[in-house]
This record gives sequence, C-alpha cells and structure tokens, in this order.
Amino acid sequence: MRCRPYVLMILVLGLLLGLTVAAGAEEYVPGEPLKVGFIYVGPIGDYGWSHAHEMARLICEDTFPWLDSVYVESVPEGEVESYIDKLVQNENCDVVITTSFGFMDGTLAAALKYPDKIFAHCSGFKRAPNLATYMADFYQVYYLNGLMAGALTKTDKVGYVGAFPIPEVKRHSSAFAIGVREVNPEAEIDVRWIYEWFNPAAAKEAAEALIASGCDAFAFTEDSPTVVQVAAESELISFAHYSPMYDFAPDYCVSGELVHWEIIYLDFLAKIYAGAYTAHNLETVDYWWLLQEGAVETGAKPGMMINPKYVDQLKAVSLEDPILGPITVYDLIQKRLEQMSDPSMIFDPYNGPIYDRKGTLQVPTGSRMSVLELTTMEWAVDGIVGAWPGEP
Amino acid sequence: MGWETWIIATLSRTLAYGTPLLLGTLGEIYAERSGVLNLGIEGMMIMGAYSAFAVAYTTGNPWLGILVAAVVGGGFSLIHAFASITLKANQVVSGLALTMLGLGLAGVLGRGWEGRPLFAAIPKITVPLLSDIPVLGPILFKGQNLIVYLTILLVPVLWIVLYRTRAGITIRAVGESPATADSLGISVSRVRYLCVAFGGVLAGIAGGYLSVAYRPAWTEGMTGGMGWIVIALTIFAFWNPVNGLLGAYLFAALYHLSFRLQPWVAPELLKAMPYAFAILVLVFVSRGTLQKRMGAPAALTLPYTRGEE
Repeated sequence: MRCRPYVLMILVLGLLLGLTVAAGAEEYVPGEPLKVGFIYVGPIGDYGWSHAHEMARLICEDTFPWLDSVYVESVPEGEVESYIDKLVQNENCDVVITTSFGFMDGTLAAALKYPDKIFAHCSGFKRAPNLATYMADFYQVYYLNGLMAGALTKTDKVGYVGAFPIPEVKRHSSAFAIGVREVNPEAEIDVRWIYEWFNPAAAKEAAEALIASGCDAFAFTEDSPTVVQVAAESELISFAHYSPMYDFAPDYCVSGELVHWEIIYLDFLAKIYAGAYTAHNLETVDYWWLLQEGAVETGAKPGMMINPKYVDQLKAVSLEDPILGPITVYDLIQKRLEQMSDPSMIFDPYNGPIYDRKGTLQVPTGSRMSVLELTTMEWAVDGIVGAWPGEP
Repeated sequence: MGWETWIIATLSRTLAYGTPLLLGTLGEIYAERSGVLNLGIEGMMIMGAYSAFAVAYTTGNPWLGILVAAVVGGGFSLIHAFASITLKANQVVSGLALTMLGLGLAGVLGRGWEGRPLFAAIPKITVPLLSDIPVLGPILFKGQNLIVYLTILLVPVLWIVLYRTRAGITIRAVGESPATADSLGISVSRVRYLCVAFGGVLAGIAGGYLSVAYRPAWTEGMTGGMGWIVIALTIFAFWNPVNGLLGAYLFAALYHLSFRLQPWVAPELLKAMPYAFAILVLVFVSRGTLQKRMGAPAALTLPYTRGEE
C-alpha cells in the first residue's frame, strides 16, 4: 500500500476541484437565502466613498432576513478578478457587487467566466446578461449647492478641490459652476486637482492654495472631510461631500451631497430574490438614480438641506429668473429641488443652452445632455478657471 | 502685495506640512546613524496618529494624545529593534513588516473612529507683537502651533548632540564600526535599541501631529505615504539634522506649490515635481566621489555579532 498517500491526495484534490466547480456553477434559485459579496476600492474607514457603500450594505443586512453578505476592502483595481474568484469559489456568493470605476473590465471578465452568477458594477458602462451597472449621481445636488455658494461668496471666487480630472468629477464641478453662475454671473470657480481619491494632506494643501488665491466658499470631490475642516479654520463656508460632515464645521458647513446607496441595493437585491433579475436579463439594467429616486440627498447631514445659520442670508439675495421672475435664492433652491424631484423633471442643470469656457455651444437650446454624454463629459462650463486636463 | 502674499502663504504652509516630515526624518537619522535602517516609519506614524486621536478625543487633552503617541511610536519601534538587533533579522524585511503591521493594526483599532470631529485639537498660536513683523510675522508667528516650534528647536539640539557630545560620538561609532565601539566597551545593542526607540518616539509624535493638529481627524491610512518620504529625506539629508530641516521644508514648499501653481503649469507635471526633485538630488548625491562624503553610516543595515568581522 505504498501508493496510498498519493491516492488519498489525488482523491482529496479531485473532491476539492469538484466542489469548486460545483460551487461556481450553481445558479441562484429565487426565494432561497441570498449571499452577496461587496468589493470596495478603499478602506471602509475612509468616511467617504467606501464608507458610504459599507453603510448601505449594513442597512441591506438589517432589512432582509434572507440576506447574507461579506465584503473585501482596499482592493487594488487591477486585481479585482482574483478577489471575485475568492468570493464566488470560497464564499459561495450568488451576487458580487464591485464599487469602483476601475473594477469595470475585471468585473466584466469575471461575469463572462461565471455566467450563472450575478454581478453589478458601480459607475461604469459595460454590461452583460449577468452584469448590471448602477450609479447614484450627484450632479443635480452639486448644482443646488452651487446656487447657495453663488449667493454666499463675497469675493466672487469659489474653490473646488477635485480628485481626478475624469468625466465624473468634471460633470460635478461643472454642475456646481452652473449653479454658482446662475445666481452670481460674475463669480469664478477655481479648480485644483489632487490626483488621488483619498489623501487628506493633498486635499488640505490644495484647499489652502485656493484660500491663498482668494476663494471664500468651497466644494470638493474627494473622499475625506479635509476641505470642510480647512475652510472652517479660516472661517470660510463649505459644502460636504458623501458623508454627513456637518459635525466637522457646524458653523460653516452650509450644505452638501449625501448618498443613499441602500436605495439602489435594496431594489436590486429584492428583485433578484423575487426572481425578476436573473443571470440572464441584466444586459439593459442600468440604475442612473438621482434626486427623484431618493438615491442622493442635498445636505450636510440627513434631513437638513440647508444649515439654518445660512437660511436668512439665502433669503436676502434675489435674482431675476427668465421664467420664474424675481425670486430669492432660497426660493429658487426649493423650486429647483421640487422640479428635479418630480418624475417629469422639467428642469435639469444640463438643459441647454450651455457654452463651454472656450465659447463653444455644447448643449443647444431645447436639448438636455444624455446619460452617455454626461458620463463621457470632458469640457468645462463657462466660469471655471484653473487647469482642466483633457479639455477638448 | 502680490509677491508678499505668495511668500507668506507658501512658507507658512511649508512649516505646517513640513513638521511631521521633519520629525520623522530627525528620528530616522538617529536610528540610521546607529546602523539600523527602519522602514517602519509609516507604521509607527499611523499608530501614533490613531493613538493620539483616540486619547485626545476621549480625554479632551491633545497634549496627552501626543504623549501617548510618542510612547506608542517608541514601543512599536521596539518590535523592529528586537527583530533586527537581538534576532539579527534582515532590517529591510523587519521594517517593511512593521509598516504593514502598523497600517493594518491602526486600521482595525480605528474602526468607528472616523467621521468624529475633534474639538480638542492643538491650538494655533498667534504671538502678539511678533506677528506684526512684515512678511516674517505672518509666516512664523501666526496660526502655527507649539509642535512646529519645538520641532525647529529640536534640530540644533540634535545636531549638537550628534556632533559635539560623547553620546553623539558613541552613536556614530556604533553605526560606523560596531566592532571598534564594542572593543571600547560600548554596548552596541543598547545604543541601537535607544536610537531606534528614539526614532519611534519622533515618528509617533509626527503621526500624532497629523491627527490632532494638522487635520485634526482620524481616517484609516491618513499618513498617505509620508513615512516613505521620510526615508528618502534621511538620505537626502546626508544623515545630518540640519540638512534634514532643509530637505523637509523644501519638499513641503514644493508640495504646497504643486497645488498653488496649477492654473499656470500642467498639474500632472506639478504632481510629480516634489518627487522628481527628490530623485534628482538622490542621483546627484549618490555619485561615487560624493558617496564617502555623504556620510552614510558604514554599518547601516548590518546586524552586529561580536567576533564576526
């Protein structure tokens, strides 16, 4: 019996292999307990993007008794495939959700590799029969924040700290600029890029550079509360991003952008559980959820759209709107929110006519930018100053 | 008016951002002077940052936080000291392990601490009268904090200790030729332990500065690679505290300017500028003839065992 150990080993290996294949090929049966794996690009402690997804995951777990979920954090964008392998093979996940733009190609490859599993990718545009895409986009909220900033700036210079010069951030800063200029046509929006999603020191120095250039109101797209803190130190106002940052500067944080990823996740997972979404019909499933779906909210903390300290100042500034007539900024904000929350959405910040800062008409009168145009936007609206890498 | 505000803003940001770099560099200079390369700076810094924040938040006293950060940083460095001095393990591996351990441990301990504003931060000081001096006043005496001043004071002190005292000679001897030092009755391992621990203390304070003075807030991974800049600055400084000050501040100034200059220079280039500058200088100072004058401790990274040389 000298060969017994080998036989045993081969048997075990074969068994393992069989199990793996079996685990990988099993398709989810609606109504059974569902296991979901989340893949995050940053640490869940970033208090920004990944933190917000993690909060949503916890809400899903609390809401659905049939749901079991796991997560992996700080996953390098190029290595997502091997992490998906682990979630599918070792954790037996029925659904894998990847939450960074850079995971797009890896997720697509995994979706083709595991055609019986269900995938969802955040902020991308590539889909498959078993791969859906989703995004809770902030551009409308940035626009509302822009209206406030335009009314509150005294130097007519508004600062914006951006992570990367990519369409998402360009769309947000441009929407913010559209709001600022609607109220205050003289104002400039000065932009600084830090080339990182999360680097508090870089965000701090970029904000300080903007203060030194004369800006007195700040918005940003990066994953930490740094800009809110820096502005408050110099007694300047700011708009929070992603997480409730009101507590960092109760006197200076006017409003901000809040996300409710759970609104999308609850919908998506409930439909899988009910059998409406399967591994064969996701080719056209693309959540692009905005104010009217409740996936995003205006405010520095939930339930508080405008810091009460600034309500009177916003009521004191008025302007002449071509359609609405004379109106205070405060009322304009409420009106715009109402218009964008309405399913008919008669107003959108990206309604034409919109000129870019080089004077080219980008959105003609009477038309509105499509989702595809928004997700591939490279130009800067009029009023933005500062570097704009990739400008057409 | 124009150029004055540029100088004031740049230099005052230089002091604020350069301080943690300088603290870390000063500590690493001492560790390396004694012959121990410690690549664990990032790990010790983040442990200091977390513990300072947790203590300052709970007790409402940021100075207590800094003190605890110093102790934690120093204590944490002893892991590296034990591995590389007592066990004679490879210093590069052990230092890297310390960085990974620190980042991971601080991340786990810091769960749930993010998103809490710290109202008991280290106060900014505006010195009366002195802050009215044109240009220099607003740079040096307005809006900085005590740690910034203490760090600057530490530079001449550490320089004098290193070059003008018996203790300094001992440290340098241990880093240059441990066998000789040993034959003179100096305990090589004790000197190295002390120097590594001192480096850990300063790295811990540097981390604490980030979380209770510079930010002030806690977020996972908030040191963002500063520990690696410190390693480069230590070489850049030729292992000399005074050069350390120049290097740290120069890097900090370029770092701030890389955001300030964006409307005029391509931001991609600016982003690389401070790092490109560091590489250029390293290339320049690493040329053969300069190597000896640079002052790299001869026994750097070499574990010492009596009678094996």
